[in-house]
Amino acid sequence: MRVLLVEDDPDIALDVARALEGAGFLVECAHDGETAWFAGDTEDFDVVVLDLGLPKLDGLSVLRKWRAAGRSFPVLILSARGAWTEKVDGIEAGADDYLGKPFELGELTARVRALVRRAGGHAGPVVTVGRLTLDTRRMSVAVDGAPQRVSPLEYRMLDYLAHQRGRVISAGELAEHLHGADGAADANAIEALVARLRRKVGADVIQTRRGFGYALSET
Amino acid sequence: MIARSLRWRLLAGAAATIFAALALAWLAMSYLFEAHVERSIEANLIQHGRDIVSGLTRGADGQLALDPEPFDARFDRPSSGLYWQVSEDAAALRSRSLWDETMAPNESVSANAWTRGDVAGPFGQKLVFVAREVSLGADGSSILVMLGADHAAITAARGEFSRDLGLFLLLLWAVLAGAAWVQVQLGLKPLSDVRAALAEMRGHAGARLREADYPAEVAPLALAINALADARQRDTERARRRASDLAHSLKTPLAALAAQTRRARVAGAADAADGLDRAIEAARDAVERELTRTRIAAEHEAEHKRTGPIIDRLIAVVERTEAGQRLTFENAMGDIVLPLGEVALMELAGPLLENAARYARLLVRVSGDVACFCIEDDGPGLSDAEIGEALSRGKRLDETAQGYGLGLAIARDVAELSGGALSLDRSPLGGLRARVHWTE
Repeated sequence: MRVLLVEDDPDIALDVARALEGAGFLVECAHDGETAWFAGDTEDFDVVVLDLGLPKLDGLSVLRKWRAAGRSFPVLILSARGAWTEKVDGIEAGADDYLGKPFELGELTARVRALVRRAGGHAGPVVTVGRLTLDTRRMSVAVDGAPQRVSPLEYRMLDYLAHQRGRVISAGELAEHLHGADGAADANAIEALVARLRRKVGADVIQTRRGFGYALSET
Repeated sequence: MIARSLRWRLLAGAAATIFAALALAWLAMSYLFEAHVERSIEANLIQHGRDIVSGLTRGADGQLALDPEPFDARFDRPSSGLYWQVSEDAAALRSRSLWDETMAPNESVSANAWTRGDVAGPFGQKLVFVAREVSLGADGSSILVMLGADHAAITAARGEFSRDLGLFLLLLWAVLAGAAWVQVQLGLKPLSDVRAALAEMRGHAGARLREADYPAEVAPLALAINALADARQRDTERARRRASDLAHSLKTPLAALAAQTRRARVAGAADAADGLDRAIEAARDAVERELTRTRIAAEHEAEHKRTGPIIDRLIAVVERTEAGQRLTFENAMGDIVLPLGEVALMELAGPLLENAARYARLLVRVSGDVACFCIEDDGPGLSDAEIGEALSRGKRLDETAQGYGLGLAIARDVAELSGGALSLDRSPLGGLRARVHWTE
């Protein structure tokens, strides 16, 4: 697994690189925005850890340029802990997760692992079921080719249904998958979620098999 | 309170002065009225006196005779209060009203002009009199002609006049006091305008008084206030810049220090590293809070935007987190506009949303109105004691969950900077409800 680490402070870069290597990643370092952009634009990485405050070219611009060029690797941005405008801008520029500085190295490696798992868990990056298309890298959804805004929770529900195609999924199973096994969610919460999703992607995309559960329409 | 009110002082002063002036006028006018009445009575008496003098004859027997007698019904009615008397040595002619009484002047009477004065008269009356000595023919013996009128009539007239005048002046006093009140209101209006403008300035650091809005006497005050506000704002901005510079300059050394402690930990000095980490953490919190204040201060004149879309963008961020991605977020803010700028709202709602997402089971709800803003979750919530602890400044409730206490502390700073207050209680959803409330 290759990680591009973009961080201008050499002390922090060294520590983070050691931690990531300790977690089994192969780490490439870039210390300024231009180097980072070039590396990301020309090589393939499984995940990028991107500091926003960089010399030469700031992190947000680097990220925007990558996304504009169709580079879809998952990006974890490091931002000042308080700066929410920075986080919002980062996510809107195409980041997949953020971590406020200063951070625990353990937290960082866990987040990087989660990002890799999220992006790499599928055989192909795009799944199509009937009229529905899921881009599993970008966590985006399109119906008949038209992009739809869905929340991550809603995305995960569609994703699960898409990967269990042909099978009817009970509300209980969905709840367990979406919220964990501690039983926090009940059938009502799932029903509400399905209703919300149907308003966004169309009522006939998610079918109800009364008494059994839900399935995606194959047509 | 009243003693310290300019309005009441001016009003009381005006009312008292007007009252004193009117009372003085009342006394003076009563006196003048009395003098006038007295003079007109005296003139009347002199008129009758002239008639008497011209009607005086000496009969063949040498006795005085008067023909015709002066005409006034009161001369014929005993003790009527109007009398005449003509006396020469022992003999005398007198009006019937005098009956058998006589009048005597209490001062020497001149022969050439009418003498006027007051004298004790018959029937216990006090008289206003006129008197003159005349002589008939060439015999040269002097005859005293004296006429009197009861003073009680004058006193009664004066009493009536005074009462009527008093009532009228009292009415006048009320009208003038009312006019003074109007004047005071008009005069003090610019001051209350200044006060309102100052309240406005408290809310918006950039607001200034407009000189043109005030009369010439108050305009210099407005200018002085503006100058003071400018100076204070410059001072504040300079202080803020210094604090911001200081915070920025601390960031790098703190990062370097943190790297050193990690190395110390690797080298086996775990205890020392722990202590250093705590100190570094505290310093970073302080730096972060200061930088947040700077970011918010930088947009203090920014337009306040619709809250709903901003909250949506924040939710999109929190939904990316591991805690956030399993949750449903409800945003009921819509077109509501809260009294703070976009950056401030993000710094306020961001940490609260992140907090809520960390503890929620299924749902995080954002709601509010124009002066209130709530973020609540359906998690386990906090006990009252924990709430008190969480709100104590800079304190970290959960040492393992990074930034929790700092987030709350920053949210609280931001709320207070925008004139609001942050409070925590239990949500109807079951978890924690963070509520920011703006008064006014």
